[in-house]
Amino acid sequence: MSALAGFSVLSRRRALKVALGALGGVVVGVSGLASLRGCAKDVGALRCLSDHEHRTLTALAIALFPEGGAFAGGAAGVDLARTFDAFLADEDADRRSDLKRALLLLEYGPVLFERRLVTFSNLAPEGRLAHFERWAVSERLVRRQVALAFRKFLTIVFYDRPEIWPDIGYVIAPTGAP
Amino acid sequence: MKGAIVDLSREAAPRETTVDYLVIGSGCGGATAARELARAGKEVLVLEEGGDFTGGALTMRDGMYDQLYMERGGRATVDLSITVLQGRALGGGGVINASDVVPIGPGVLRHWQTQYGLSELTPEALAPYEKLALEDLSANTPRDDQINTNNALLRDGARALNLRGEVMLHNRRGCVGFGKCLVGCPVDAKRNPRFVAVPDAVAAGARFFLRARAMRIDRGNDELKTVEVRTLDEKGYHEQGELRVRARTVILAANAVASAELLLRSGLGNAHVGRNLSLQPQLPIVAFFDREVQLFRGIPQSYAVTEFEQLDHPEHGLWGFRIEGIGGTAGIMASLLPKLGHEGKALMKTLPRMAASLLLVPDAGNGRVSLGRPGRPRIEYAMPEEQKQRYRDAIRAAARIYLAAGAREVIVPLARPISIRSAADLALVDGASFEPATAPFLSAHQQGSVRMAPSPARGAADPGGQVYGTRGIYVLDSSGFPTSASSHTMTPILTMSRYLTARILAR
Repeated sequence: MSALAGFSVLSRRRALKVALGALGGVVVGVSGLASLRGCAKDVGALRCLSDHEHRTLTALAIALFPEGGAFAGGAAGVDLARTFDAFLADEDADRRSDLKRALLLLEYGPVLFERRLVTFSNLAPEGRLAHFERWAVSERLVRRQVALAFRKFLTIVFYDRPEIWPDIGYVIAPTGAP
Repeated sequence: MKGAIVDLSREAAPRETTVDYLVIGSGCGGATAARELARAGKEVLVLEEGGDFTGGALTMRDGMYDQLYMERGGRATVDLSITVLQGRALGGGGVINASDVVPIGPGVLRHWQTQYGLSELTPEALAPYEKLALEDLSANTPRDDQINTNNALLRDGARALNLRGEVMLHNRRGCVGFGKCLVGCPVDAKRNPRFVAVPDAVAAGARFFLRARAMRIDRGNDELKTVEVRTLDEKGYHEQGELRVRARTVILAANAVASAELLLRSGLGNAHVGRNLSLQPQLPIVAFFDREVQLFRGIPQSYAVTEFEQLDHPEHGLWGFRIEGIGGTAGIMASLLPKLGHEGKALMKTLPRMAASLLLVPDAGNGRVSLGRPGRPRIEYAMPEEQKQRYRDAIRAAARIYLAAGAREVIVPLARPISIRSAADLALVDGASFEPATAPFLSAHQQGSVRMAPSPARGAADPGGQVYGTRGIYVLDSSGFPTSASSHTMTPILTMSRYLTARILAR
């Protein structure tokens, strides 16, 4: 399921309003924002995400599903962002730009909403998770929407992989009732 | 005429077709109407946006949402507060629903008669059509050994508290308990329209065009309507061609969202079109036990706590709330859990010991469909405080039931989750505000957007389903219901489609 397909609320005007509102008091110009983001490695063969957008989503996926802990598997070895790229490529142009804007908003979330001079991808994984969790309970509807949508998409894709099922006791076999 | 199912992503169709009856939507309403019309010797064409999925093509994976649901599973209200689940496949919602068979109660029919002026719609008038609908569905009661642990815990807890409940009728035959009904049944155990009305309709001469999206209805001179149709690619992502269908009668059966949207896009109908949308939003709740539950195996939804449901509410008809067990895939369950990171993984490790249910709260038609971006309806929904209070009541009731059944903890999966470990924690529920995009509400039973009424001053369609201001354009799906017909709409839609088709044929 893609919770993201319903994501049509992040219009250009609304995104701009949210971003400008959040920028109040942050003394960083556009070029400053770009330099905060830094370089993203070339991941190649993406259908519509940029390398930076791929990096943002991968950073989120790794924060949501870290390696180790209750079971070994995490998002580090799985390119969930590429699944999103494939999904997005078959969406219409309006929705593609909405979602790309949402990724941009997420990347600059620490700057825009918490007045920190660091972008989302450059936070440590634990810091990323804590930051993302604040989106879900934000007073701003648009932040809650971004959190809800990306979390749902990544969660469903992460757990829809058979290699993870033995770790969580999940099966798709029948109960055997005739 | 020779019946057929033609997938327009693979086969070319004539650029212009003329038929007696064009049916838009192949689900419970559309397929049923098509069959009855074809059996009466009428020339019938059905348009379906989705593809045909049966047997092994239904993989039980979450990826199926992409193909089986509108907007690839992501249709939602404009503020993203409520996921709107709507089938998009040959057979419609019947392919992806939980197979619950709950007819329209006599209290609701009385309400429609007294409050909405549908005086001819008596229980006696509807009874023969309901009987036929139940036969179509092979309606039967799940055996005791088919009540999985998830539903049995709900039943046991309710019994311990002396609360009324019931095992629901269903439309499965030959179920083997895969438990992934919401992404289709790989052993074709659901007796849904795909396996009943569709083959019957084809045998009677009806044609079905798949991957065909109705864009606009031009009423022309009212005798012959012209429907503009776009054909889609194999996955239904992109439009790839177009054709026109001319029909004397057009039957809308594309669900309460899409039928209203098509009328609006066509500039047809009166000011009531799109209003009065009932989404009947459902809220999931999760409980953790110390024993194996395996909610992902067996029939996902078989037991309902009905103690708090009002079937004859003087102002609303169906009201109150009910609680039903529910199962889902690992991904869906994970998306409901309140924790992420390592804590989230630790919670998912306990998946086999989780139970879950849905809180079904009938609403008063607080929603509205309007036109959004091309191909995307705009769905707005305002939840009044009274409705929120019923969710809080339902949460408290479900939590008490789970605690009585031995749950260690009950979680209300809100953005700020509520954890209930004892009766003392129930007061925490008072703080649930249900602000937009903070709760995982979902809607599986959209109704009422083209509601029937005895005059255009009160509704969008006449008591025979004909859209006011048109001649020969009907709604035969849940769009026409004046209020929530039932906690589950499959049987009401089948019944009403039969009833209204008989009226159309009798004109």
